[in-house]
Amino acid sequence: MNISSASAGDQAGTIVAENLTKVFFSTARVPGPLGAVRSLIHPRRVATTAVDGVGFRIEPGRLAAFLGPNGAGKSTTIKMLTGILTPTGGRVEVNGLVPHKARIANARLVGAVFGQRSQLWWDLPAIDSLRVLADIHGVPPAELRVRLARFDRILELSAFWDNRARQLSLGQRVRCDLAAALIHDPPVLYLDEPTIGMDVVVKEQVREFLREQVEQRGRTVVLTTHDMTEVERLAGRVILINSGRIVYDGDLDGLRATHADAQDPTDLEAIMRHAFTADTDQDLDTLDMEQAVPAG
Amino acid sequence: MTLAAIDPPQLQRQSRRQSQRAWRAARVTLLAEFNQWGRVGSVLFMLLARTCLCFWLWQALYRSTSTSAGMNRSQATTYALLGVFYMSFRSVNRWANRDMMVQHMLDGTIAYWFLRPVTPRRYYCVRALGDLAYGGAWAALAYTVCRSTGLIAAPVSAAAGLGAAGSLVLGLAILYYLQQLIDLACFWTVVNFQLVVMYGIVQNVLAGALVPLWFFPGWFVGFDRWLPFQGTLNVPLSLYLGVLPMSGLVRDLALQAGWIALLAVLTALVWRRAGARVTVLGG
Repeated sequence: MNISSASAGDQAGTIVAENLTKVFFSTARVPGPLGAVRSLIHPRRVATTAVDGVGFRIEPGRLAAFLGPNGAGKSTTIKMLTGILTPTGGRVEVNGLVPHKARIANARLVGAVFGQRSQLWWDLPAIDSLRVLADIHGVPPAELRVRLARFDRILELSAFWDNRARQLSLGQRVRCDLAAALIHDPPVLYLDEPTIGMDVVVKEQVREFLREQVEQRGRTVVLTTHDMTEVERLAGRVILINSGRIVYDGDLDGLRATHADAQDPTDLEAIMRHAFTADTDQDLDTLDMEQAVPAG
Repeated sequence: MTLAAIDPPQLQRQSRRQSQRAWRAARVTLLAEFNQWGRVGSVLFMLLARTCLCFWLWQALYRSTSTSAGMNRSQATTYALLGVFYMSFRSVNRWANRDMMVQHMLDGTIAYWFLRPVTPRRYYCVRALGDLAYGGAWAALAYTVCRSTGLIAAPVSAAAGLGAAGSLVLGLAILYYLQQLIDLACFWTVVNFQLVVMYGIVQNVLAGALVPLWFFPGWFVGFDRWLPFQGTLNVPLSLYLGVLPMSGLVRDLALQAGWIALLAVLTALVWRRAGARVTVLGG
């Protein structure tokens, strides 16, 4: 698909990637004191391809889950979609914009939560952080009140948002970070392992919130996770990525059909193991997946 | 209305400009400090302790002599105390707030700076202004108290006072840009701890913060005159005390302004390069 032609008619919330590639360069260190001197005089540059020719299109108001082992390239892909990382090659358009080139415009149209990395100010009550972020995004006070009330209805933030971020539990902080990411009401939301380390109750609360954002608000959500329950409950579409390449892109039923010869074709975790062992001999201990629970 | 129904070209037209309300992020400093009265108390204690110790030290040093290196007791004490108040401009403990750039680099939260409708450079500036306003309030308070109690001398003339105030503003701008360059180094080195230590030593010595520059040899002061550091502290204080004549005020201010222009261009270029070098550690 040609992005330039696709972008003209794309709606807000559309995400398109074409042959997206990211190569990181680093200096290889030779062990030992002499090696350190050699590295200083003759540094050997090493190229690592984190994402290798990834392409997909996500329509507005859909939730797509990026799945893959640690180091597969999921987070790097998301960071290129957000515009934080500049791709080495290929093209990306989100909301009809090239994110890393139009960072200011892009920032108004996307929100993100990167795992346990919080954008709340450590020594401020969470509500103050949300107010400051609303100011940074230019959200009018009346609109802010409506949005905070909406977030509070499902995420129950008012029970703890007077506490400083440093005093919040992980689950409380991530819920506040979800509100922070959506304070400016962006059409696109990126979530990089948002529920990692959370207890089951909070996870369910976050899932409910995400479901509402997609189904009621029509937000496009891109999610990376190792939690198969989350995938079963939320994702209409899964994109499997391994060693920087897409190995599957489609719905869950298609994935099950493709890997019908997995040990237990009803168990998503077993299907994942099958998919990734078929693709590489990677050590699947790194998958760190939870037991899948069938949908419904 | 669902979000997908919003017209993207309309959204884009509205969204190219930076947020006009982002300056309000300057209040983060005040909110963070006033949420911890212990930290406010520690700033007050440090300011009080430094002022007393500095005053007694210079009184003792001048006990057996009335003039040293051309400066009398009142001038030396005033210089030293103004130096202490000047340090109050940097009262905010960003490290304790987990809000230093190096911490954002290590935590990976620097990513969020690039997801706001304000450039990281402007956000950095807004936050620095918040810090400066808070620290400046402490400095102004200390100055007022010490002037009214006679611990420090008044400026040699009203013109010298105004010249010193103007030079102080320019000096703080130089300090802001130098600090920014040290912080920006994190985009290349991830951590900048050694650089901070080296910069601290160079800045304190060459600005005359540790020891007044009149105790250094003439060639050193002459060489230092063309560097940016003297303009951050020694120049405004020397104007205040009349050590630098008012006849050279325009030249002194022009030199400071020149450094500001140079450093502003340099930091703008570095920010541009830094934006393409963002990495988020740990995936």
